[in-house]
Amino acid sequence: MTNYSFSLLTGDTGPLVKGTRPDCLRIPIHAHKPILASGDQVLSGTKIAEAKADGHGDLHSPLAGTIREVDSFSMRIEVTGNTRTDSETPPGDSGESLSRWLHNLGINVSRFRRAQTLIINAVPPEPGISIYEPLLRDYRKTLELGLDTVERMVEPTKIFLVAAKGNRANAFANCTVMHVAPTYPNGLDQLVIKAVTGRETLPGATPENTVLLSVSDLYLIGRVMETGRPATETVMTIDGQNLLVRIGTPVGFLVAEAGGSVQPGDRVVLGGLMRGIPALNLEQGVGRDSTGLHVVRKGEGLESTDNFCLGCGECERHCPARIMPGMISRCAEFKHFARAETFHVHSCIECGICGYWCKAQRPLLQYIRLAKFEIALLRTATSPAKEPEKEKDSDKCPEKTDD
Amino acid sequence: MIRPMNPLLTVSMAPHVHCGRTIKGYMRETLLALMPAAIMAGVIFGMDAVRVMALSCAVAVVTEALANRLMKRDLAVDDLSALHTGLLFAFLLPASAPWWLVTVGSAASIFMGKVIFGGLGGNPLCSPLVGWALCRISWPEFMDTNATMLASNLPAPLQQLKSFGLDAVAFIDPASLFMGHQLGGLGAIQVAALLAGGVFLLVRRHISWEIPAAFTAGLLLTAWIYRTIDPATYATPLFHLLAGGSIFGAFFLATDPASSPVGRIPTLLFGLIAGVMVIVIRVYGIYPDGVPFAILLANLFTPLLDRIRPKPFGGPYTLTQEKEDDAICKKCCG
Ligand code: SF4
Ligand code: SF4
Repeated sequence: MTNYSFSLLTGDTGPLVKGTRPDCLRIPIHAHKPILASGDQVLSGTKIAEAKADGHGDLHSPLAGTIREVDSFSMRIEVTGNTRTDSETPPGDSGESLSRWLHNLGINVSRFRRAQTLIINAVPPEPGISIYEPLLRDYRKTLELGLDTVERMVEPTKIFLVAAKGNRANAFANCTVMHVAPTYPNGLDQLVIKAVTGRETLPGATPENTVLLSVSDLYLIGRVMETGRPATETVMTIDGQNLLVRIGTPVGFLVAEAGGSVQPGDRVVLGGLMRGIPALNLEQGVGRDSTGLHVVRKGEGLESTDNFCLGCGECERHCPARIMPGMISRCAEFKHFARAETFHVHSCIECGICGYWCKAQRPLLQYIRLAKFEIALLRTATSPAKEPEKEKDSDKCPEKTDD
Repeated sequence: MIRPMNPLLTVSMAPHVHCGRTIKGYMRETLLALMPAAIMAGVIFGMDAVRVMALSCAVAVVTEALANRLMKRDLAVDDLSALHTGLLFAFLLPASAPWWLVTVGSAASIFMGKVIFGGLGGNPLCSPLVGWALCRISWPEFMDTNATMLASNLPAPLQQLKSFGLDAVAFIDPASLFMGHQLGGLGAIQVAALLAGGVFLLVRRHISWEIPAAFTAGLLLTAWIYRTIDPATYATPLFHLLAGGSIFGAFFLATDPASSPVGRIPTLLFGLIAGVMVIVIRVYGIYPDGVPFAILLANLFTPLLDRIRPKPFGGPYTLTQEKEDDAICKKCCG
């Protein structure tokens, strides 16, 4: 895979297409508490689970059907139609009641505290993900409505729209457009915050007085306000095309719809190739944070090894966080997790670039995440699943089987 | 959730793409970069040189294989790193080196230079130099290129400078030094060929410019200072750059990934230290060519230099220990 490009230029993409209706949904619920049980009937828009922690909105069924199975990770719904629940009218006032209403309809509102600076991230998160392009082009009305709503909660004095130089970005009212170089990892939240405010923050944190959200967030909020119906979709780039996909749509279904096929030993990656999380099987449903889908053929891509670190420093030279991934991985390899901290493991923004360049093909990001996870375990009495530290789903799901 | 397993998918952590470079590829291209110098060595020193190189490489590979077997590791010789170390070691030897010297030195390079530190990547010192230092200290008379190659009519610039002073080397033309017409390590003195190989490595980005540049700068600068102090005693900077193994050290020994620091400032300092030490040893030391010892010395600074780090993203941070919950403590401890 030497022809992989770090360019974030999206070029012109086609329109946003609505995903085909699947026969079965498998909605990831590991951050939620199910409120319905197996056998219950749902309509499109029925609330099925409540958020367990900040950082998530409640979950609703995207389609009508019957719940067939509920476990701690997912809920399987057999789809029978798309009869909908009634739509609600958005509250006219701002602040608390608006945010509670949005939370109820599936929007993550915990980040919308009052702040002076509002940053809209329109830089593609990873190469090959162009989800913001059609939204900025064709859905201005919705985005404006979304922005208006967010403004009512955040009450910012300055709004910035950050875009990659060369990609489309038309400012909204009262909004300054900023450009960053169109190369990965410039679209990651931490680097976008730095570009606007000049402040560096650890992953998972934003400086006070700053709120950051992406163009898709704006779009989803705008849609909730427009329709009065819950957010049950996510925008994904699949094979260059941008789709509005229902949460819970099985990845196998999406691959088939895109005309692809999956052979044994392939990887199906949710998200981009640098940071994405592989699906465990074709039944797995997409989550709210999925931005793309890639099939990596067996034998292609990074096949990590247990080679020793050469100490060549290639990873360190490319690391945007200015840390030494090689050293951290050595610490993690030999279970010296506390020592990894002295090499500033917490600064890692999990871009995956170190692993891309490592000559020894070491699974560097995996070692780094392991170190972070173990340190969290070491230092806190609570289980790391409840840690505010932004651990991705990958840390939580694969370790358990319920056979 | 894991149940339907058909087709069985690969699950692995991000990133899912890779630049395509491998250890083996790196070693292969480094060996390729050494080829011009190896060929030149064969041309100038004849079969003697070929014999030393072949023996050294063979011993290195066998030692590595034996060591892996002994420590019940997977056989790692196919990553070509043993071959690489063996060839580098051979480059430091005189073409006249007896077989037992080559064998002992090459085996020591692998075993004491690499294996006992945990293998590739763990060595705190540049491995071929470990073997070289052992031989140089134990059997100086066999390692002395001048004494063992009396039959040759090539000049031995550094030895002559050391023993007979500046006048003895005044007649030596820098251009002929550049072409490798001198006595010294059989490959280490092939300046032109090594430079070509070094540039190849730079272009292919297997090494970065900092160490060779700082090494050369440190060497030239120190030589220039001595020269300015007393032009009658000290040789020109150019002479020092072209005589002996300076270029070899700058591009192939000092850049050894494991024993050199990472990061721009540390690598620049590392190169400077090594370059300066080369001249200091050549001027004051008892060994004519200071390159190997200078690099070994700089290797010792590596852990220290590696502590010079830029501020990490978002500042240094330590996850604080959560205050223990009294209720839980009581439950557990009584
Ligand atoms: S993933 Fe690797 S390259 Fe990226 S910030 Fe973390 S350590 Fe640095
Ligand atoms: S790129 Fe790989 S081999 Fe090189 S220092 Fe980093 S972890 Fe070690």
